[in-house]
Amino acid sequence: MNKTGYIAARLLQIVPTFILIGLVVFVLTRLLPGDPVSAMLGDRATDEAVNRLRAQMGFDRSIWTQFLLFLERAVTGDFGSSIAYRVPVTRLIAERLPVTLTLTGLATIFALLMAVPLALVAALNANRWPDYVIRVVFQVGLSSPIFYVGLVLLTVLAAWLRIFPVGGFGETMLDHLWHLFLPAITLALSFAAVIMRNLRASLMEVLEAEFVEFARAKGLPRQIVLMRHVLRNALITTVTLVGLHIGALLGGAVITESVFAVPGVGRLMVDSIFARDYPVIQALTLVLAVIVSVVFLVTDLIQMTLDPRVTR
Amino acid sequence: MSAALPEDAAGEISGRKRTRRLRLTRVPAPLLAGVVVVSFFLLCAIAPEAIAPYDPIAFDYTALLSPPSLAHPFGTDQFGRDILSRTIAASTIDLQIAIFATIAPLVIGTLVGLFIGYYGGWADILFGRLVDLVVTFPFLVIVIAIVAVLGPGLFNMYVAVSVIGWVFYARLTRGEVMVLQQYDYVAAAKVLGYSQARILFRHILPNAARPVLVYWMTDMALAILLGSSLGYLGLGAQPPTAEWGVLIADGKNFFSQAWWITVFPGFAIVLCGIGFSLLGDGLADLLDVKR
Repeated sequence: MNKTGYIAARLLQIVPTFILIGLVVFVLTRLLPGDPVSAMLGDRATDEAVNRLRAQMGFDRSIWTQFLLFLERAVTGDFGSSIAYRVPVTRLIAERLPVTLTLTGLATIFALLMAVPLALVAALNANRWPDYVIRVVFQVGLSSPIFYVGLVLLTVLAAWLRIFPVGGFGETMLDHLWHLFLPAITLALSFAAVIMRNLRASLMEVLEAEFVEFARAKGLPRQIVLMRHVLRNALITTVTLVGLHIGALLGGAVITESVFAVPGVGRLMVDSIFARDYPVIQALTLVLAVIVSVVFLVTDLIQMTLDPRVTR
Repeated sequence: MSAALPEDAAGEISGRKRTRRLRLTRVPAPLLAGVVVVSFFLLCAIAPEAIAPYDPIAFDYTALLSPPSLAHPFGTDQFGRDILSRTIAASTIDLQIAIFATIAPLVIGTLVGLFIGYYGGWADILFGRLVDLVVTFPFLVIVIAIVAVLGPGLFNMYVAVSVIGWVFYARLTRGEVMVLQQYDYVAAAKVLGYSQARILFRHILPNAARPVLVYWMTDMALAILLGSSLGYLGLGAQPPTAEWGVLIADGKNFFSQAWWITVFPGFAIVLCGIGFSLLGDGLADLLDVKR
């Protein structure tokens, strides 16, 4: 298959994925105990109000019509109103999504900054003490729940040493970033462990490869061989890993935002469960899944440019 | 792929068989460490009252928020309850989570993967689409969404995790079965006219089960992380049930004065997670599973 064909096929593939995501979220709301309308309006709603909302949401029509209606609304970004905040769900999410995306973006950068140099050190010293120390530290990181790491960092660095703010989000742009620093580090730690383990393995594989031996034999300086030949090739799998990890990162953001009181969609989701704010939960599940599938698509395309073998 | 073959397929691989037997005499160090750590927690989970120095729910107004000391190695909380005893008591729930959140996915996923991998066809195509779909939902987000529908609580958390979790076991088993099917011993079993059930369960399953077993260990570590996270958020175990995440959430308001209420239950989560990871690594080593 040629390059254009591959891209076209991959782009088309996302349409059925979107529809299926919609189906899952639709079914999920159907599983709500009792009638979704009475669940939304509460026990004290009048029959008239229930019937009006039923008709408005199309519950008096066939299940397939309802699903199509749901898809149509989702495409136009109409998820109804939040029960708790009494504003359109779309607005609520639009306000908070950038915060969560900034948090996950920062966390990815921090994770790479931690993992790449350490993976290099570990791979070059494979099975010697620096390798062991780094691996033990990361094994601990991998086994530590995010909320716990967050609480410890929050107490030590924010409450005791007063280096960072204890929570919240600040006023200005720079202030926002400052407030997101500690949450991003928290989210980055376990991710860094995953990247580091993967990158260490692929670095060791590439270090054994014939082309690396050839580059050395050619008399290229050590630095150049490491950067241009070894790291570049090993990082291809890391790009894929970062892309595939977006779901775990967004899930981690839900917990991190709850610990640090960051006003993103993750905290909104947890708050909405306690408020029984089903339209918000439904819309967020859908939006986050769509984000993940778009990131998967972008990852595939990036991987294709980095590694032309993929299309063959 | 270094999937070792079963005894009845010996013949040409007798050399490999010998090394395998040799390997069994040497227990990998991670496995030993994992067994020790996990057994310790199992002991705490089975008989907390025998190990805990105090009653985990007994109030002691003479020792409120007291820091770690000889009498209370992990300190006490705002009601004077002994944190060490509470951490030990909570291991009962957390080890239950490790098992109950993974057992249904393990059994159902392995069986589904076995059949899909063996028979293929339209079920396999459908399953491929299902996997693509499931991975687009962030695991924690879909679990939270399902818990939102069912209502918070331990049982509903097990249901939510199982609804999604079996897919990963099925994917793993399916892949293994596809590889194993190409081995001569499976073809031989077919030629011998063995029943499909016999081939599936006697010849393929025992070999396909080894990577699944290794994955199960990692999955139990993940289940404890997930269970305690949901407990912390108030969506899993509900207070006053002693669960590590719930204990940490209990202490979070006292964190700057009484750090010990949260720090020590956290240690338990980390140590238990490392225990299961070591168990997984060691088993992978012992069973010759490539990860």
